[in-house]
Amino acid sequence: MMKAAFDPVALATPFFILTIILEIVLARFRVVKANYETRDTATSLVMGLGSSVAGVLTVGVVFAATVWAYQHRVFTIPMNAAWAWVGIFLLEDLTYYWFHRLSHERRFWWAAHVNHHTSQHYNLSTALRQTWTGGVAGTWLLWLPLAFLGFPPAMIAIQKGISLVYQYWIHTETIRRLPKGFEAVFNTPSHHRVHHARNPIYLDRNYAGILIVWDRLFGTFQPELDAEPCRYGVVHNLGAFNPLRVAFHEWVGIAQDIARSPRHVLGWLFGPPGWSPDGSRDTSRTLKERAGVPVSGFVPARSLVAQADEG
Amino acid sequence: MNEAFFVQLALSAAAVGVLVGIAAWAKIAKPVGPLDEHKARALLAEDFPGRRIDAVWIASDGCGAMAKSGGLALVICRVGDGFVMRQIPWPQAVSATFRNGRLRVNLDDVAAPTAVIAFATWPPETLTKDLAA
Repeated sequence: MMKAAFDPVALATPFFILTIILEIVLARFRVVKANYETRDTATSLVMGLGSSVAGVLTVGVVFAATVWAYQHRVFTIPMNAAWAWVGIFLLEDLTYYWFHRLSHERRFWWAAHVNHHTSQHYNLSTALRQTWTGGVAGTWLLWLPLAFLGFPPAMIAIQKGISLVYQYWIHTETIRRLPKGFEAVFNTPSHHRVHHARNPIYLDRNYAGILIVWDRLFGTFQPELDAEPCRYGVVHNLGAFNPLRVAFHEWVGIAQDIARSPRHVLGWLFGPPGWSPDGSRDTSRTLKERAGVPVSGFVPARSLVAQADEG
Repeated sequence: MNEAFFVQLALSAAAVGVLVGIAAWAKIAKPVGPLDEHKARALLAEDFPGRRIDAVWIASDGCGAMAKSGGLALVICRVGDGFVMRQIPWPQAVSATFRNGRLRVNLDDVAAPTAVIAFATWPPETLTKDLAA
């Protein structure tokens, strides 16, 4: 009930390795479309390795907090009931959506998450470019209500692992579109390419973990548009492959900004990424407004094609 | 942290080495040709949309460029198989260290600390009085 009997991520690690090899080899022989740059790949994989080490340093605190929350639970939810697994699947995925949205829309949490978006590539190795500072940023607190509600800590841990493993395979350009019904309900390579793109129209869109329905529900969905190919990375890309720079650059940037203008500390920490007191920097909103794309809602695939035809 | 963790870590590190080796062998980075003015302007339009570009100077090896936009210098430098753009004050770009045909520009950004761009001369000979202002 407390400790998970298995770790889906650990079980999936050989699958991660084999599929990256497969994607590289198939791309090498031009069977599929994928690009791997050696230093970029090394950075992604070292970030993944470092993330597992960083996770070990904070896992004790996270586990203790989750157990404490479970000890003060409202209900007792059985681990062996099918309805309980359906419940944890939906609620964990909803939690993930809000965690992910917070991680993009507020700079403090963006600082912990930005490293995942620093590659100018989109391949399976990008999926492993994971955070080193997520534990310190405290986003794990968002999962505590599940334990308060009565889901056993082991169940929460397993579902979080399943979600992470699910999100691995969608980091690829080799799969274009899946059947419409699947694309309508689940997060897919196409939806997640949009999420990793730096084109203004795609910024802050498709936060989903497993179910894309949350984005459709909360107004953050944007389909991939054939007329607007994804350009990957962050708004101002990194000029280095050093993992330390990848992991900590935004934290250093926050510290520099606070030192420069301490009275705006709350804005520097909790404003959207790119916020500045004088508005001299770009946020997702200003970039979208300047590009003439909707700040909320989405552009359906047909309208952009029609615009291109008219142009 | 127990022994199993360190064994797993060592195996993972070995796997990283193997994967990086395979990626190097495959040579499937994005094809990146040398920059020309058209491509440089297109890249600048991506990172600095709507910005007026007064002049662009392309690196002699095609791996970077410098543009003047009012009182700002827009810097392009190649990183891996991609490009990175930053803006700095124009006087900072003009006074950057130039030695052995390489301009070393301090970008004042922890995410992209410096750019090294190959130029025959610096400041550019085509910098007219109007642009220098």
